[in-house]
Amino acid sequence: MVHDDYKEMIPARALSALDAAEAQALNEHLENCAECRKELDEWQATAAALALGANPSEPSPQVRERILDEVRKDLSEDKVVPFRSTPRNLWSSFGSLGAMAAAVLFTVLIVGLIVLWRQNNAVQAELQQSREFVQLVTSPGARVTELRATDAAASASATIAYDRNGRAILLASNLPKVPQGKAYQLWFLVGHAPPTPGKTFAPDSSGQGVLKEQMPREALDSPVFAITLEPAGGSTTPTSPIYLHSVSINF
Amino acid sequence: MRFRTFISATRSRSRKQIGPIRPIGPIFPRNPSGPWCPYIPSLHPEAAQDSDILLLKAIAARDEAALAQLYDRYRTILFGLLMRILNNREEAEDVLQETFLQVWRKAADFDETRGRPFTWLVTLARSRGIDRLRTQASRERVAEAGAREVSEEISDAATDAFKSEQRGLVSDALAKLPDEQKRPIMLAYFDGLTQSEIATRLGAPLGTVKTRMRTGMIRLRELLAGQGESFGF
Repeated sequence: MVHDDYKEMIPARALSALDAAEAQALNEHLENCAECRKELDEWQATAAALALGANPSEPSPQVRERILDEVRKDLSEDKVVPFRSTPRNLWSSFGSLGAMAAAVLFTVLIVGLIVLWRQNNAVQAELQQSREFVQLVTSPGARVTELRATDAAASASATIAYDRNGRAILLASNLPKVPQGKAYQLWFLVGHAPPTPGKTFAPDSSGQGVLKEQMPREALDSPVFAITLEPAGGSTTPTSPIYLHSVSINF
Repeated sequence: MRFRTFISATRSRSRKQIGPIRPIGPIFPRNPSGPWCPYIPSLHPEAAQDSDILLLKAIAARDEAALAQLYDRYRTILFGLLMRILNNREEAEDVLQETFLQVWRKAADFDETRGRPFTWLVTLARSRGIDRLRTQASRERVAEAGAREVSEEISDAATDAFKSEQRGLVSDALAKLPDEQKRPIMLAYFDGLTQSEIATRLGAPLGTVKTRMRTGMIRLRELLAGQGESFGF
């Protein structure tokens, strides 16, 4: 079919009187033919005039009411549902979701920062201790003594380094956990004199312990070191068996 | 809360743009009743069309009062059309309701460059009416010639004017059409029959029905156009 054939069909189309196949073919043509679409608009106007050929009639007043009821329902839904149905609110909910996500992210970042800062502090402290230990060990006249564990502290071990001025650092590992209110205490033994109390320390959760100490002058010559478990504040004389010691000793 | 502010702002803005719905323009020069005749939209198709367009724009902006006004303006014409098609009061009222709810939802689709609001409304109503008729397959009822319900008296002054003016023009035009051209057109328009069905109904060859329908439509257009610009041709 050509354009003129379609054009001839348009008055019947305005009356929706075309048979299905013809209607389908014309609809396809109309999609691509502006001239025929305009023609159809004009014929629709002629067809619409036929409505005036029917006798006007008054519908019941309820129809008007029903229409306006539906419309009011529609309008009230507009007001009630907007939080889901309107683009604006969609965006604002995206906005609040975004704000929540940002808040969560911010918190995570802050917590992460604190954790890193603490880890960094711990690492710095360990590094500082290691440096001090190395510095001490490498200083002129420095000595390093190993401490052996007794049965009380089976697998524990410790090393103490000290220089000529009595600056000492004790590094201990695999120490048993200390009970509440207790701490390990370092002792210096010289000759047959009573043990001189040193400082107390508590190992960390992995059993590692570090203690910096200033040794008593009299202990500088040929000191014997011992570690016992004492009350957290420390004791003046040992109250428990020895956990670690540098040579075999007897209290 | 923000949304409500937004909505009410939109509403008030659109109302403001459209302004109060009222008939446009003074008395038209072609007014047959003389310069002192009170304004009746239906007597002045151009003005009626302009205000119809404004109503449709207001409806598109969710103005309930505009829909009520459009309904009051066209209810008797459209209901008369639907009664003629469906020949059943309850169903015609049902389809009339559907039509205006469609107008409420689709008013924004109306394109004034493609035709008049009257054409759009009538096309919507008729197409829904014919759909209803076809789905019911209740043509027997329609075919009962002379069994149609009698229309109620119409009180609306504007509709009376519409009736006396434009209905008169259409009736005159149809009266001038030869019956052999008029029948296929009426069977298609009010009974929703296709050309093949009309050929069967009239016992005429399909080609003849096509020719008569087309010739009749062209003649009808000429007759209506000859009556002035009332139909926008």
